[in-house]
Amino acid sequence: MASELELGLMELSVVKEMTNIGLGNATTALATMTGRSFNMSVPEVESVNLDRIPELLGGSESFCAGIYMTIEGDVSGHIGFLMPWTSVQSLWRMILGAEPSEPSEISEMDASSILEIGNIINSSFLNAISDMTNLTMHATPPLLAVEMSGAILDSIAVEASMNDHVALAIRTLIHDFEGSFEGFFVYIPSLGGLRTLFSSLGIAEAA
Amino acid sequence: MPAVGSAVLVGMADIQVIKHTGQVGCLGLGSCIGLCGFDPVTKVAGVVHIMLPEAFADKSVDKPGKFANTGVPALIDAMVKAGAERSRIIFAMAGGAQVFKFGANADSKLDIGARNAQAVTQILKQLGMRIVGQDTGGNNGRTISFSIDTGDYTVRTVTSGEKTLCNLKG
Repeated sequence: MASELELGLMELSVVKEMTNIGLGNATTALATMTGRSFNMSVPEVESVNLDRIPELLGGSESFCAGIYMTIEGDVSGHIGFLMPWTSVQSLWRMILGAEPSEPSEISEMDASSILEIGNIINSSFLNAISDMTNLTMHATPPLLAVEMSGAILDSIAVEASMNDHVALAIRTLIHDFEGSFEGFFVYIPSLGGLRTLFSSLGIAEAA
Repeated sequence: MPAVGSAVLVGMADIQVIKHTGQVGCLGLGSCIGLCGFDPVTKVAGVVHIMLPEAFADKSVDKPGKFANTGVPALIDAMVKAGAERSRIIFAMAGGAQVFKFGANADSKLDIGARNAQAVTQILKQLGMRIVGQDTGGNNGRTISFSIDTGDYTVRTVTSGEKTLCNLKG
């Protein structure tokens, strides 16, 4: 499994392109939803061990929001979008105009707004892959955790029942004129899923 | 809170055993379980970071620590190999949470954390082992740490901070 996700430059740039398209769609959807305009960028795509992702988010105990979905269809798998607490707070400010200062103060409204935004972002990413590859991918309804990043990834790894915990980590930055928020996609295609995905694009199997 | 840097960290599906002095623990447990065993006489401590209740029947087990049914006996074996006396080992466990608490299906979702906790307690019972502390379930992620020097098994969460769950010095 580990070797399957050791992607070459070609594959990584394809994933980056898909993410760019997906986030482009997501920001359009966010703009329609909020009446504000957003820009986005995808600075980094890496295939990493799941254990290492908490480091990128500021440590296993760093506080994060994670929106998780299971993917079914031609390429099944798992997808999560994780944002550091400070990013979630600036997102709340952008969307709702105010933010809870403590995790214990998260209201139903706060949770559902983040859930919906995560849903849009994850679905846009998956739709971009579907459109490029003609593969069908359906996501189950999203689930949200606001917790230590380690505990969120730990739970996603359990859901994916992974042996080597290797995933694609994609760092994203979304901003409007007032603020920005950072997030990480954690995309875990099923065993053989990436091969299906790349071969549908006419790209030879990753070395 | 002692510095994390001085503790031996146990990653997913891993088993670590330490002797005489020091700390061992797991950072950010979600639905996984951090099970700690200690023999207070020989001062051998071990932690396993369990992910799932039991191994799939049709697949070979590459990492015994991944599953409750293989991880618990493997932890005991590793501790005995390091000098622990099997009958003296006492246990504490934490984790098995359901951190994804928001969302339409959050309640109906198969609660693997609870199943993990149940599997671990059941196996310990079958093996005739003693559990002196257990903090499982709920929605909170947990960091656990055990110190040979103090005997304290501590659990830390974002909302409640750090607490000593129990002492394994006996």
